[in-house]
Amino acid sequence: MLRTQTLPSYSDAVAAKATEAAGAGGFNTSLAGNSFRWMAAPALLFAGTMIAFPFGYAVWLALSDVQLGSAPRFTGLDNFHRMLADPEFWNGLRLTLLLYVVSLSLQLVIGTWLGLLLARFQSARGLVRTVMVSPFMLPPVVVGMMAIVILDPSFGIANWLLSQLGLPPALWLSNPDTVMFTIAALDTWQWTPFVALIVMGGYLSLPHDVFESAEMDGAHGWTRFRYVTLPLLGPTLITAAVLRSVDILRFFDIIYLTTQGGPGTASTTLNILAYRRGFEFSELGYASAIMVTLSAIVFGSVLMFARLRRAVAW
Amino acid sequence: MVTRRLVRVADAVQLTVVLIVLALPIAWTFLSAFKPRTEVAAIPPRLLFTPTLDNFIELFSRNDFLHNTLNSLIVSSGSTLLGLVLGVPAAFAVAWHRMSWPATATLFARMAPGTLFLLPWLLMFSKVGLVGGYTVLILTHAVITLPIVIWVLLPYFETLPRELVESAQIDGARQDQILRMVVLPIAMPGVVVASILSFVFSWNYFLFALVLSGVETKTAIVASFNFIGEGVTNWGALMAAAVIIALPPLILTLLIQRKLVGGLSAGAVKG
Repeated sequence: MLRTQTLPSYSDAVAAKATEAAGAGGFNTSLAGNSFRWMAAPALLFAGTMIAFPFGYAVWLALSDVQLGSAPRFTGLDNFHRMLADPEFWNGLRLTLLLYVVSLSLQLVIGTWLGLLLARFQSARGLVRTVMVSPFMLPPVVVGMMAIVILDPSFGIANWLLSQLGLPPALWLSNPDTVMFTIAALDTWQWTPFVALIVMGGYLSLPHDVFESAEMDGAHGWTRFRYVTLPLLGPTLITAAVLRSVDILRFFDIIYLTTQGGPGTASTTLNILAYRRGFEFSELGYASAIMVTLSAIVFGSVLMFARLRRAVAW
Repeated sequence: MVTRRLVRVADAVQLTVVLIVLALPIAWTFLSAFKPRTEVAAIPPRLLFTPTLDNFIELFSRNDFLHNTLNSLIVSSGSTLLGLVLGVPAAFAVAWHRMSWPATATLFARMAPGTLFLLPWLLMFSKVGLVGGYTVLILTHAVITLPIVIWVLLPYFETLPRELVESAQIDGARQDQILRMVVLPIAMPGVVVASILSFVFSWNYFLFALVLSGVETKTAIVASFNFIGEGVTNWGALMAAAVIIALPPLILTLLIQRKLVGGLSAGAVKG
């Protein structure tokens, strides 16, 4: 089910190629000695041990009461019932979705603008690309370390710049009302260039006679962008959205490094909450229930975009 | 003509602003790492100072940071190698036979939150006494590198002329020979991209080593996290650590800039 849902174009391509090969009476892959299938076996074994089994294990933990030192006891959906009654879970869900919506929209909007700008501006490409690539190649932990130093309320350069502009200092990471927006800004700083480069690549690969005829029909500026460029960029933007959604929903490093979910629980997203429950409070079953839920949210968002992709395909 | 020129100037101005916003925090970090200790947190910030290596000397002498950096190297190289050993033949088999399940499985690994696997891994690996060693770090980081290798290499193998492999088979080459002598040389550019991306993403990864490393195997990234946790207010040393961790990914990706975005979005374009 996952395969057909998330990989529509891939499996379509597989089917198409298979028919093509059969039709041409081509290479017979089932001939003994000609099969390379065994070459995938080690990777499959690895994936089974390190991914599939732990995933099943996590689901089983989520359905159990696990106390360290004694055998886990199957308790059905108890952990999920507890989760639904836990204000921290709802708080985490709210923060996860807030980060998701704010970060993703900022990155798609700014990324589209920047990507089209890059496509128009073709000078100094080496330098431009180097600067564009650097933020998202940095370890998130380094971005967190930079944030701690630059956004420090008293000694950081950010507040000094604000004071030079005559603005009051901000409590970037220690104001519970704004901390999620600061975190969204950090992720946006790091990953918008990536979205922009995807958009640039997508735009440059579009058929350019379309733009010329749109131009001749009198579509300029905003009209051209809204009715020609944007629809044509649809599939590209969805690719970018899928990649960013997955990362934003499981966002962890920068939050854990800078605020550890605080102040209070003001930045305790689901991933942070699950981590703390599991590794700081040793509530293995309950933590697993939260993690399974978060995984479902991630898969759900990917499926949603897979459907949307078919809707905007051209 | 005048409007066209105006647009060009406006573009240049906007792009310059963006580039400054992107580069400034990184430049500031690098500058701070070379500042004398007393000037790192000076307000107003000082742009003119006598550069010094004191922060790096302190980082490497007071802490075990050299050891941590070596650990990071061992784990990243090990997991990249493991990812290649498992991923290259798998990607070839997948492309040749047009299988779709392995791609789905690794995509799954790429989508699931790392925390999901972490508890089961901790329980599994503590049973066999591997927690805290290099083995567990290399194995878990290979969960990151293997999907990268497979997804980056698939397009290379899919465009491989089938006649090449078929004629090698007719000439009686063994399958492992075909892989090593026919397939790999053609896919070499892809292998380079896959290796660099794998190394960088393994190097940058924080969560698995945070839980599964031991005192002796702590990676540079986890060690830096611990500095912050200990409430170290020595920003100079902190920025020096940031520079040491940031340099390998920044330098390595310079080599594959053109292929970078394609490599990172491989899989998603299809999936």
